[in-house]
Amino acid sequence: MAEYRVLGKSVTRLDALEKVTGKARFCSDMSLPGMLYAKILRSPYAHARILSINTSKAERLPGVRVVLTGKDVLEKRYGLFVFDQYILAKDVVRYAGEGVAALAADSLDIAEKAIELIEVKYEELLAIFDPEEAFKQNPAAVVHPDLLSYQLGLFLTPQPVAERPNVAHHYKIRHGDVEQGFKEADLVLEGRFSLARIHHIEAEPHTWIAQRQPDGGITVWVGQQGIHLLKQYYTGIFGIPPSKIKVVAPSNVGGSFGGKVGLTADPIVISLALKTDRPVKYSFTREEMFKCGGTRIPAVIYIKDGVKKDGTLVAREMRLLFNIGAYSSLGILGVRNSNFGTMGSYRTPNLKVDSYGIYTNTPSALAFRGFGSNEVTWAIESHMDMLAEKLGIDPAQIRMKNFLKEGEPNPQGEIVHSIGAEECLKEVTKTVEWGKTPVKAEGLWRKGRGLAVANKYSMAPTAAVALVRILEDGSIELRHSADEVGQGAKTVLSQIAAEEFGLSIDRVRIVAADTDATPYFPASSSSRTTFQLGKTIYLACQDAKKQLFELAAPRLGVPPEDLETADGEVYIKSSPACSIRVKELFIVERPTSPQAFGAFLEQGGEIVGRGVWNQPFVYENLKTGEIDPEAARKGLRAASFYSYAAQVTELAVNVETGEVKIEKVATAGDMGFPVNPKMCQQQMEGALGMGIGIALWEEMIMDEGRVLNPNLRDYLVTTFQDMPANQNVTLLMAPVPHKDNPYGAKGIAEVLVPPIAPSIANAIYDAVGVRITDLPITREKILKALKEKKR
Amino acid sequence: MKQRLELKLNGEMCEVFVEPWRTLAEVLRDELGLLGTKVSCGTGDCGACNVLLEGKVVSSCLVLAPQAQGREILTIEGLATPEGLHPLQEAFIEHFAVQCGYCIPGMIITAKACLDENPDATEDEVRLAMSGNLCRCTGYVKVTEAIMAAKEKMKKSVSRTGYGKGR
Repeated sequence: MAEYRVLGKSVTRLDALEKVTGKARFCSDMSLPGMLYAKILRSPYAHARILSINTSKAERLPGVRVVLTGKDVLEKRYGLFVFDQYILAKDVVRYAGEGVAALAADSLDIAEKAIELIEVKYEELLAIFDPEEAFKQNPAAVVHPDLLSYQLGLFLTPQPVAERPNVAHHYKIRHGDVEQGFKEADLVLEGRFSLARIHHIEAEPHTWIAQRQPDGGITVWVGQQGIHLLKQYYTGIFGIPPSKIKVVAPSNVGGSFGGKVGLTADPIVISLALKTDRPVKYSFTREEMFKCGGTRIPAVIYIKDGVKKDGTLVAREMRLLFNIGAYSSLGILGVRNSNFGTMGSYRTPNLKVDSYGIYTNTPSALAFRGFGSNEVTWAIESHMDMLAEKLGIDPAQIRMKNFLKEGEPNPQGEIVHSIGAEECLKEVTKTVEWGKTPVKAEGLWRKGRGLAVANKYSMAPTAAVALVRILEDGSIELRHSADEVGQGAKTVLSQIAAEEFGLSIDRVRIVAADTDATPYFPASSSSRTTFQLGKTIYLACQDAKKQLFELAAPRLGVPPEDLETADGEVYIKSSPACSIRVKELFIVERPTSPQAFGAFLEQGGEIVGRGVWNQPFVYENLKTGEIDPEAARKGLRAASFYSYAAQVTELAVNVETGEVKIEKVATAGDMGFPVNPKMCQQQMEGALGMGIGIALWEEMIMDEGRVLNPNLRDYLVTTFQDMPANQNVTLLMAPVPHKDNPYGAKGIAEVLVPPIAPSIANAIYDAVGVRITDLPITREKILKALKEKKR
Repeated sequence: MKQRLELKLNGEMCEVFVEPWRTLAEVLRDELGLLGTKVSCGTGDCGACNVLLEGKVVSSCLVLAPQAQGREILTIEGLATPEGLHPLQEAFIEHFAVQCGYCIPGMIITAKACLDENPDATEDEVRLAMSGNLCRCTGYVKVTEAIMAAKEKMKKSVSRTGYGKGR
């Protein structure tokens, strides 16, 4: 491995100081002169016809400036994959929480008062909530009766199923012949698994400020991710030319975990702003975040595995029923992503997957950290343990036996590269001395341990552009559109620039993400930032250095190839003492002309290095999920990369209360190369906190489509006291470098979540012999299972 | 309708005119421009808006502004001194306790109250005191580590800088 000055080191986070002093600013902290405050009236019913809306009282309230209902917004539907949603409901509401009317007023007080003055009469319609009921050929209710006539978006080619009217998308894999595989198997095992609807719980509620511009354009400040994606979405919805749309993300976003990718209230806020010259601010309340801020997709998963006596997997068949809610939003992507989760870890000669996105009258889903992988990993990793037990094989051994290896094709036909599944599992099992039988406690608290492995693909294709400017004091300015949602993009990307210029990180300056100032990057989603933008920044640095060396070469009397730079100086590689300071290349002062004061380069004016990477890829065949073998041989992939994680959890279960105490964990992650090891640990620890909650108690309790616990008292998240003591948390790096990143780095943020729930379920089984297949594993479920087991 | 409200805010007297139904969080953020105090849930369940009122932790989203009349309030902005950062702030930076940062001001304020009250707090006691502060990014591992490290620093520096009870 190369020797680095800044990379691979735990450099202090660039945003830490402003965040511990209260100086960090988020979109929710912003205000503009003359700003109006928006509120949205939301449907209390999951499925209803709107008979009438009377806004006259609200309009008459002094201070109310704009009031909109479904008849005032754009005629056409919008969507990301299926155009299935109006900006505000027209005629029919399809989930409890759907926007019915919106207004903007001089103050939040007035807006809140006015929204209560709007009168809506509804006629309730028969609604459908259960994805298996909705999946039927003749379901009790159809969420979008005109689905087949809806316009489809540009991406992923949604595949509705004519005979199943609530299916928005059917994605499939057909690899080999599963029926033949089951015949050849010594053991065939079937199971059903399910996962609750959960919410991201981002600390900062989603916020927007939109302002109409005199030229007919619009500027939107967002507490969201993906400024360039949003610009394209807004263009598509409103028909405003992209050159007149500016999207700005203040330098900090208060958490995302997938919940701030895509669209939620954006079109409503922009619609309000387009009716007034004053800026309009809107923030979700915490309750609205649960009801309309996106959720993880609840799912039901059927799995059937065929294995040989020695544990060799010969066939796997899965049916994934995703409850995407009332509008398809990003749910369609989750349906696709899940399939990659089935292919990333294990050699599966015969694989059949049918993944369905199913409409119901429930809140819409968005991406969620581990998007698509959480769901299939929950089923697969529970099932691997169940298979191992039936065959009398160790759970680690059955996984080791089936891991894909570098250079072989995965079920999709993609040639496997940079697979760290085995390394991760080896690291964790070595650390906990897996294989030695732990002491089993008697009495109330029974101890057990379990393991699980996961993969997460990063979506392809993606492209990124980055710019690097050399400033007159030898510092570097970075222009890129990464989102800083807490994951540390600012620091990691600046480390890369600092490394390439031989500078300390405080000499790197970052321009805040702004579509007018920072170049194209889709979003810091799909764990792609370090891999994708990291490479692009590397390329931009090379370009800038090339220009710098060309400029300095005549001054030093050698060809540019002989030069290198560090600490703000350009020097001759073979004799580093011969150097010139970067600042000396700039003209700053011209004594005869004080008005010409200011820095520039005589030749070219300034140095701007440009980095562009449009990742090569190949689309899968939608009939089989496979890619063209010829393309695969050429090294083309359908996924950007896969990252891996493994976890061993040790816990204790109280057999009288069903309570679970997480006592000790070991987690290993394959991030290719840890650019900042402490920040990799941050991801691991954060995933652990989140994953324990997802496994044991997180659930949006739904009744007739309504969220019964839309607050942080009744929706339980992991607290300080639920975590194991610090000394019992072991974090391990198992990096397997990726050739497409100059440092071998891949993303790590998402993959750490999926193994946690199955490792906990497997440990609970080890402790008390009950197998819970429905997340979360609440005390009630454990107690019930223990009672049934006694019978 | 507006009432005169006098506060001893971060060591300095200040006066502001507000409607009596305003929460302390609203007054701090909207009237006094102290945006370091964050509002995340608005129902007192998450700790992001925690400030010290007479040295005790309160959820400023639940405290009505008049309840703070004439009393002493410490927000995140008042923690550092001209001499430097508070040991908790230093430790949060050094130990990588910060990610998205939205919950961090409330975390640091709560941790200060915890250590002021119990300068020898064990990890378990810290976890108990902090359990009303929710964070989705960190899993609390490095936050706990930072608080334990700050505890040691504060014990050493208490005589020199006067950190500790009742700033």
